[in-house]
Amino acid sequence: MKNLSFSRQILPILAIAGIVIAAIFIFANLPDRTMTDPMIEPPRSPDAQSTTGTVAGTGVVEPSSEEIEIGAHISGVVDQVYVAPGDLVTQGQPLFRVDTRDVRARVNEAGARVASLRQTVASAQTSLRVANEQLALYAGVEDSRAISDQEVIERRGARDTARAQLAVAQAQYREAQAALASARTQLERHTVRAPQTATVLQLNIRTGEFANAGPGMGGSSEPLIVMGVTEPLYVRVSIDENEIERLDIGAPAIVSARGDAARQVEARYVRTEPLVVPKTSLTNAATELVDVRVLELLYALPGQGHSMFVGQQVDAFVPAQGDEEDESEGEGADE
Amino acid sequence: MGWIALRMLTGDRVKLIGLLFGVAFSTLLISQQLTIFVNLIMRGAVAVQEVSTADVWVMDPSSRTIDVFAPMPSTALERVRGVDGVAYASPMLRSNAVVRTPSGDLEGVNIVGVDDATLIGLPRRMAEGDRQALAEPDSVFIDDTGSRKLFAEDEQVIGTRLELNDQRAVIRGIADAVPTFTSQVILYTRYSNALRYAPGTRNRLSFVLVRSDSDHTPEELVAAIESETGLRARTAEDFANDGLWFIIENTGIPVNFGITVVLGFIVGVAIVGLTFTLFIRDNIKQFGALKAIGVTNAKIRSMVAIQAGFVGLVGYGIGIFVAEMFFILNSGVDTFKGFYMPWQIPLLTAVVTLVMIMLTGFLALRSVLKTEPAEVFR
Amino acid sequence: MSVGIAVENIVKEFPITKEESIRVLHGIDLEINTGELTYLIGESGSGKTTLISIIAGILFPTEGRVNIFGTDIYDLTDTELVNFRLDNIGFIFQQYNLLPALTAAENAAVPLYANGIAREEGVERGKAILDALNIADQCEKLPRQLSGGQQQRVAIARALIHEPRIVVCDEPTAALDAGSGRRVMDLLREVALAPDRAVIIVTHDNRVFDLADRIIEIEDGRITHDGKELPDAH
Repeated sequence: MKNLSFSRQILPILAIAGIVIAAIFIFANLPDRTMTDPMIEPPRSPDAQSTTGTVAGTGVVEPSSEEIEIGAHISGVVDQVYVAPGDLVTQGQPLFRVDTRDVRARVNEAGARVASLRQTVASAQTSLRVANEQLALYAGVEDSRAISDQEVIERRGARDTARAQLAVAQAQYREAQAALASARTQLERHTVRAPQTATVLQLNIRTGEFANAGPGMGGSSEPLIVMGVTEPLYVRVSIDENEIERLDIGAPAIVSARGDAARQVEARYVRTEPLVVPKTSLTNAATELVDVRVLELLYALPGQGHSMFVGQQVDAFVPAQGDEEDESEGEGADE
Repeated sequence: MGWIALRMLTGDRVKLIGLLFGVAFSTLLISQQLTIFVNLIMRGAVAVQEVSTADVWVMDPSSRTIDVFAPMPSTALERVRGVDGVAYASPMLRSNAVVRTPSGDLEGVNIVGVDDATLIGLPRRMAEGDRQALAEPDSVFIDDTGSRKLFAEDEQVIGTRLELNDQRAVIRGIADAVPTFTSQVILYTRYSNALRYAPGTRNRLSFVLVRSDSDHTPEELVAAIESETGLRARTAEDFANDGLWFIIENTGIPVNFGITVVLGFIVGVAIVGLTFTLFIRDNIKQFGALKAIGVTNAKIRSMVAIQAGFVGLVGYGIGIFVAEMFFILNSGVDTFKGFYMPWQIPLLTAVVTLVMIMLTGFLALRSVLKTEPAEVFR
Repeated sequence: MSVGIAVENIVKEFPITKEESIRVLHGIDLEINTGELTYLIGESGSGKTTLISIIAGILFPTEGRVNIFGTDIYDLTDTELVNFRLDNIGFIFQQYNLLPALTAAENAAVPLYANGIAREEGVERGKAILDALNIADQCEKLPRQLSGGQQQRVAIARALIHEPRIVVCDEPTAALDAGSGRRVMDLLREVALAPDRAVIIVTHDNRVFDLADRIIEIEDGRITHDGKELPDAH
């Protein structure tokens, strides 16, 4: 057959071509259902705990001293801040000072008064000395005609008066001294000092701002300065109360920072908070209510190689009690 | 004799076209309707299938599908992490919210909060923008269908500021996601943002997405998670099917499409059967003559089979090609976004076509075989 | 000249209802010789078509035997009978019954194709025999492009192409005008008749009776005349 027949040859070829094209499209368009790995490594259970099992929890990095929230003794406008965030301060080192002009004036006033009273005392002493000397002079005269008893009595009276005046002046002087000491203390109290050697973590007060003494309004105000001992850092790990019995308390935990799950750090067990508390909301929602309670465990981070900061959230993996056979044996022994 | 059979078949153009049309039409109808049906109910599963990084989904025991769920306390994530066999687990928040567009309109949206650090739970592909952009503050990704729903063609989508629950949200990317069954606009954001964007309730964690480690199959892990945490766990595959069955059980779609498919089959059988029978009837004298001359019934049978096979092949080829082209050419239309023809459907359609052609061929053949050769002398 | 077909005591009944049946042939005994043009004539309903169907091996008789060149054809199995027909019998039908989709040459070669011969060879041989029948120029045409006479020539070619020993014709001229019918019958006599071949023609076309070597008349299922000449009634 020289000429192609449309019906018998071209049509089936077209049909087969159609099937093939359709098949190609069908297979090309099949949806991708393969599993992929996330672009960023998620936190995984550490290999070290593969035999025992793992209890996972969330944690927050905190200073080993916990956070020391510094308050002011006296309310007032701050006129000096001596430290910057991140500074390591030693115990007693001044942190900031509230405006001292009035108390300084009072110190000066008290000082002046002390000075003037000191003069008063001196003059009283002089008067006493003069009175004593006059009394001694009159009393030393044997001839009673020369000096009447009356005069002796007067001189004695003058001496007694001078003595009393000195006592008053001295008392006033001491009082003024005490007032000065009080004013100085008051001045000293305007300067807030580091209660212990620690690092300044947060500085919420700046020169010119008003510092309130005592807890702020509603108890929710920020502390003026947050300090803490950052060598070592601790991690406070929250474990769901349902998981407490599985915990191997005392064993080191593996922690990794959010977003940096590949770097797993082993943290040493420090202690367990004795109180099971409602779960702290770490989800930024202020109104969040939770009906979950958590046990808080503290772990110490190693000195180096974690690059974690205070307040950072971490994923923590605490080893579970491995052998369940031991547990059952223990229970058997109890019975 | 095969070529004679084909010659007989193609000799009658009108009937050939009728036969091919019948087969092609019912192939098209069956495969296309089945595909639309499958894809429509698959919309209940796409939200699970889009997540390529998790093979087990953990949820509250009362949760049923990705859209019908009860939230869990946030510590569920850690409890799941503690189960042996979990390579990693990450939270997912799903919630409905109302978004205010720049033009001031209100639109219901589906908020999907994915893990802050790893972004596990985002769809596989991005249509525009980089996944890392989600890490930026107040960043959300919108799904591409939703972007066309919310914005006009020429409007700038990326960088647009939305208002969610009185909070600022900036679109920084467009995710290439297949629309879900409800075809609501989907906004992907980080979990911590989602907590702010979604109106709050006590518990917020909707799902925990889990990947099994290399030593455990997802099925083993499901059993382990269920027994250790008391939560409900499903493999991604099962969970996708749950969503699919939810639609099947709660909508009239399967009945509708079932009827269409059956109608397609009946129409196909009717057209092809009638035309084929007519064709054979017209040729009955010729077949009788052939039988008288000395053509065995076996050869007659094979001739009819060749004719039926030819009609079936060509008609099926045309039908399946047109059906697939329909979806290829309409893949840009949002209604058909993500539609694909599962390879089982052309296969099933082929079987149906084969049954149809065999049925009609058999009917037609019966009259031929019954023909007494002696009738040619009448 | 020898006996090609021996028909013995053929009885054929057709059922009318479950119990009743009508007897069409009442014990026909007949011998048909090779090298002769045998006419089978009779009124409509006389049983001549039934008889020729039985002789041609396409209708089983109720009783009796048909022996063709030594073979009792109704002792054969169905398939053997079909193949026997294919090898030994050529058919010419009143309505030609050509395949409308095949060319004249291909139509002529249908018995060869049924025997499994390749298409090209069939076409060649079809052309050759059509050439012998003087319609070589029509061999590429389809049946509907041919006149009735030409179609019947193609049918004749088909009946003869495999050189059967028996040719059975059913009213070959009925659908043709007198001239064409005459030419076809002449042709048939010219090409079909051979010393070892029996040709049986069922007809009531009295225009062509003069070409017969032998005329057998059937009436009500019985042979009423057998001879060289027409029966007196005609």
